Amino acid sequence: MATAVLDVDFDHLPPSVTGLERYQNAHILVRLGGRPVGQTTVPVTDGCIGGSELREALLEAAGWRLWEQWLHNLLEWDERPASSMRPSATVAVCTRDRPEDLQRCLEALLRLPDDGQELMVIDNCPATEDTRRLVERYGGVRYVRENTPGASAARNRALREARHEIVAFSDDDAAPDPGWLRALLRNFHDPLVFCVTGLTMPLELETEAQEWFESHSPFGRGFKRFMLDGGDSNPLHVARAGTSANMALRKTVREHVGFFDEALGPGTRSRTGEDFDMFLRILTSGYRIVYDPAALSWHRHRRTWQELRTTLRGYGVGVYAFLTRSLLVEREIAAPFICWGWFRYVQCPALVRSLLCRPERKPLDLLFAELGGCLGGPWAYFSSRRQLRRRSR
Amino acid sequence: MGVLLLTPAASPAITVTRDMDRPMVSIVIPTHNRQAMLRRTLTALGTQTYHRALFEVVVVADGCTDGTAEMLRGYSDSLTLRFIEQACQGAAAARNNGAHQASGALLLFLDDDVEPSPGLVEAHVAAHQSRSGRIVMGPYVPFVHGRSDFFHMLLRSWWHDKFRTINEPGHRYTYEDLLTGNLSIDAELFARTGGFDSAIRSAGREDYEFGARLIKAGVPFSFAPEALAYHHEDETTDIDRALQRSRHEGHADVLIGQRHADLRPTLRLVHFGEPTGVRDFLVHAMAFRYPGLGDRLAGWLRQALRIFESLRLRRMWRFAFTGLRHYWYLRGVVDTLGSPKALMRFLQGGPAHSHHPSCDMEIDLRDGLEAVERRVNDARPAGLRVRYGKHAVGRIPPQAGAERLRGPHLRHALATTLSWELWKAVVMESASAGSGVLPSFCGDPLIGPSFLRVLHADKSL
Repeated sequence: MATAVLDVDFDHLPPSVTGLERYQNAHILVRLGGRPVGQTTVPVTDGCIGGSELREALLEAAGWRLWEQWLHNLLEWDERPASSMRPSATVAVCTRDRPEDLQRCLEALLRLPDDGQELMVIDNCPATEDTRRLVERYGGVRYVRENTPGASAARNRALREARHEIVAFSDDDAAPDPGWLRALLRNFHDPLVFCVTGLTMPLELETEAQEWFESHSPFGRGFKRFMLDGGDSNPLHVARAGTSANMALRKTVREHVGFFDEALGPGTRSRTGEDFDMFLRILTSGYRIVYDPAALSWHRHRRTWQELRTTLRGYGVGVYAFLTRSLLVEREIAAPFICWGWFRYVQCPALVRSLLCRPERKPLDLLFAELGGCLGGPWAYFSSRRQLRRRSR
Repeated sequence: MGVLLLTPAASPAITVTRDMDRPMVSIVIPTHNRQAMLRRTLTALGTQTYHRALFEVVVVADGCTDGTAEMLRGYSDSLTLRFIEQACQGAAAARNNGAHQASGALLLFLDDDVEPSPGLVEAHVAAHQSRSGRIVMGPYVPFVHGRSDFFHMLLRSWWHDKFRTINEPGHRYTYEDLLTGNLSIDAELFARTGGFDSAIRSAGREDYEFGARLIKAGVPFSFAPEALAYHHEDETTDIDRALQRSRHEGHADVLIGQRHADLRPTLRLVHFGEPTGVRDFLVHAMAFRYPGLGDRLAGWLRQALRIFESLRLRRMWRFAFTGLRHYWYLRGVVDTLGSPKALMRFLQGGPAHSHHPSCDMEIDLRDGLEAVERRVNDARPAGLRVRYGKHAVGRIPPQAGAERLRGPHLRHALATTLSWELWKAVVMESASAGSGVLPSFCGDPLIGPSFLRVLHADKSL
């Protein structure tokens, strides 16, 4: 059974929600005055959710976060200093042959309030001309074609091409909220902040694969803003920093941290990991990453089980490729300990639970896909590098 | 000591009217053997948006032997440049000396490793015009550079955090917020306060001591983000100098505590009266009992830092570096006080009684936040007791070495440290009074089960 995705603001609480006949549950994002404060899953009975039931569920899910936000609104308080200097931004969408998703993304981006931002689509090594034709339909969106395959190459191209100081990246299968860009930019008043990531919620939970992905490896990192500083915390713990599906970089990252490693990331043999690597290098260079849940985007997860398995396998490959690079290139000798910690405290218990058929177990095929990916990760990284060298010759 | 007026070759005649709007500014720069950096600072001063005829630059060369004097004599830019030489007396004496020789109505202190942005002088003047009789500080942020060694990263974070917290809405200034690298003050006010205490020489804490006197005199501090400058600290500071400086700081903290007994509880040396934790216990024992052995161990540990860094052992490095800083700081304290007993006596010699809550001002938030803030602004109390109707919210205690309370401090406390208590008081008051400011979405009955759950839960959940 599918799960409906709802977006409810306490300022406009509906008397009841109807028309959910197709769904068994509803996954609800809770907001107050537009700011996300929590999320919850509520059962749907006969296609509707009663008003008082909804309110209670939302109040309980948001808890103190709601009341803290309510107090801050009442006190007109914001921890960030009111700054008249808002940096200007380029929004870059890196895409490869996914025109339907891209169309949704562009429509969402065109709903952003106009603060003079530049919209740019990086078409990465396309097989067809569909993307170019689609972009041409929208006025004011720049089309850039990058022929080197790989999301890293596309992102690097965006960093080179961007006209503004901040480059905000959205995945083509995501749809940012209208307040997304402003919320990201508000965090750049601290000159040491080189990267800001935001909250990513599921766009739809229509299939079992999507539901499973959201409940077991969600993109969201909670509803509290936080800052990571390489000096105070282990910079190898980068997973908590957020994801590249929803992030913004200061363009000077090019000079002070460097470009994305083109041997990592989607479109290469390493499959993922380019964002983790960038986060790590930002932190070890002494700069900061802020996670701000106010920067909200909706991501369409993979629909089929087969795609999900491939995605998880890709995560395994990418994380190990990233850790291989960290050890060999960045000389982070703690990288193997991260592998060990992940295996000992996450993967191994999950495997045991699945084999013993305990409740809350992960499907075995997904676990094996992930573990298999991990094993192949280091090799994938080396082979990806070789490929890169051959291409540059 | 020699005073030399270097009149520029193409000096514009000072015909611009000196009125209240465009006061004469004297920029005082103490320097010690940093010729190249000083030149960079002077070059940046040559590109100010503020009219050149309306400011003079007073460079005080403190025992310079690197040819700074020759550089200044030969300096040909159209700046009005004055140059004072003094024997090695420290930065505090140099600033006093420069201020004494200055002719401007406004003094602007800049450090020689600070490179001002073009709008800096104008921003300082504008800040004083909006309200006179106060201290204006501008940020001098570390020049963004590619150095990513642990020490410089730490240093850079420290400076940025310092300016970020000062700039936060509702920041309560303390004497430790006084930074002299980019600071302006009325010349007349500076003379009245007596300037920097030059007895705390070479320690680098004469700024804090000056800050303590200003806070006590009720001089308001303010921050002007537009008065931006860049700090080339990476050229002037390294790990060994920082450790050496820690020792000076220990010495200086004792002097500050001797001059201001009420500040003793705020000094770092409080932690070493009765050390807790293995590291501080060891540091304490080494510094007081076996300084010879301690110095040798500290030397080895200093070498070990290199190994930790090359192996990227951040936590270990941080732990060892903090230990070293504590050790050298405490050595500075020992240099001045001598024995653990003397340290205890020193700490116990502070103020006998703390500020009693009954001396606090009491406010009721039901009178409206704006009205209450106005009252706090008028009364400037040292401490506050906050109520919401019949329910107590909490207290903003008096703080040694901090400015008296203003309205924004109240809002800051309510939004952060007191938010949980404030919310509880609002809920209780609304429940007992039957109405309140609670929003309509919390429904009817007012205290629903989810309310109670939040109320009884830990707020960190």
